[in-house]
Amino acid sequence: MKRQTGGCCGLCWLWSSLSSTIGQKIVMALTGLALCGFLLVHLGGNLLLYVGEQKYNDYAHALHAQGALLLVAEIGLFAMFVIHIGLAFRTSFANAAARPIAYAMRQSKQDPGPLAQPPSGVMLATGIVVLVFLLVHLSDFKFFSVTRATGLRHQSVPADAAPFARAVGVLQDPISALVYFAGSLVLAYHVLHGFASAFQTLGLRHPKYTPLVKTLSLVFAIVVGVGFASFPFWAWTFR
Amino acid sequence: MSDTLNLTLKVWRQASPSAPGEFKTYKVYDISTHMSFLEMLDVLNEDLISKGEEPIAFDHDCREGICGSCSLMINGQAHGPDRTTTTCQLHMRRFRSGDMIVIEPWRARAFPVIRDLVVDRSAFDRIMTAGGYVSVNTGNAVDGNAVLVPKQNADKAFASATCIGCGACVAACKNASAMLFVSAKVSQFALLPQGQPERSQRVEAMVAKMDEEGFGGCTNTNECEAACPAGITVDNIARLNREYIRATLTAE
Repeated sequence: MKRQTGGCCGLCWLWSSLSSTIGQKIVMALTGLALCGFLLVHLGGNLLLYVGEQKYNDYAHALHAQGALLLVAEIGLFAMFVIHIGLAFRTSFANAAARPIAYAMRQSKQDPGPLAQPPSGVMLATGIVVLVFLLVHLSDFKFFSVTRATGLRHQSVPADAAPFARAVGVLQDPISALVYFAGSLVLAYHVLHGFASAFQTLGLRHPKYTPLVKTLSLVFAIVVGVGFASFPFWAWTFR
Repeated sequence: MSDTLNLTLKVWRQASPSAPGEFKTYKVYDISTHMSFLEMLDVLNEDLISKGEEPIAFDHDCREGICGSCSLMINGQAHGPDRTTTTCQLHMRRFRSGDMIVIEPWRARAFPVIRDLVVDRSAFDRIMTAGGYVSVNTGNAVDGNAVLVPKQNADKAFASATCIGCGACVAACKNASAMLFVSAKVSQFALLPQGQPERSQRVEAMVAKMDEEGFGGCTNTNECEAACPAGITVDNIARLNREYIRATLTAE
């Protein structure tokens, strides 16, 4: 096979490899795993809500005091999301185009698992729900002042509320609460397949480790689902 | 259990690649439960011919489950309801009298319908031509034990090589992806010393051809593994991904 070397930036070979169907999935797997890592860190930070108001406020202030470092992290995170979501749509369209005429009848030949609908078949749908969740979440927190100033929502939360009070205020908004609760569960369903699937896409399959990866995927999905869904529940019942 | 069946068949009929197709309903009577699915279609075709109608075109050859010629989406399942069974090895005892059976061709952009239930699977041949081979010097045959092959690798390579190239993986995949086929063909060589010289160029060329032919990508739903009549596992797909990453990072 003719290989393109030199002439361009020096990474054309990598770009070319990552543009194939396998390459695109490798990028989705890597960004997906990176986002899974972010989820854990984010959950860890949020769990400070349960430790106490002061601890949570201290954490939030310390985080925002990072300045340039935080900005770099946010840009990196934004890039991960954009790449993962962009490739999700791109590959989904390409995959749909690979079968222009649908079957009149379709039945799976796999052994039925515990879930009536395995998450692997609806990753685009669950991904879109998570995207909506993400956008609502960003409007609630990252762009809180804009959302509030434009009179969209959160009029009842004081503009200068401390992070803890703001979080509770936002979580007590019925729209946010519902989106966060349902969104967290759908997110868990999404990563249940995504986490284990990423390993397969990266070629990391081994009789010793793959069962462990599948168990970890389940544990991770439960931690993420229960963890994040607990916040709106807590805000409505204990606050 | 009765020894004969009366069935209603909904069969995809399409006169040519460009003609619009449609389902036509046929009735077959007194089908022996000992017949294979293809023999049942033979009976229907004899009937159609005797009535002066066009018989249904479908691919078949060995009828022993080893050639990979037969296909058919039977009630939405590639090669019918049985695991690791080709359509020619599917027996009518699997059905009940009075059943309605929907029969469709493989559906994929890369497998265009030629006529009725026959699709053009030459995309697989072109993928094989791109890299699914080992180059061997002419001359005397090499001594059988001159190249040492670990037994486990020989077994794994053999298991991958049992792929008969029928295309059920593509047919069953929600993305019409050919990853299981390509992964089996890449694996059978990657696992053996004879496959090493062309190892990197093989995986790169076969994947490039696979994409060019218009197959979809893999989303790890594992439907291909369940549909494969030869029992090819998705372990092969992980190996293909590994081979691809290895070739990308190390091949010159």
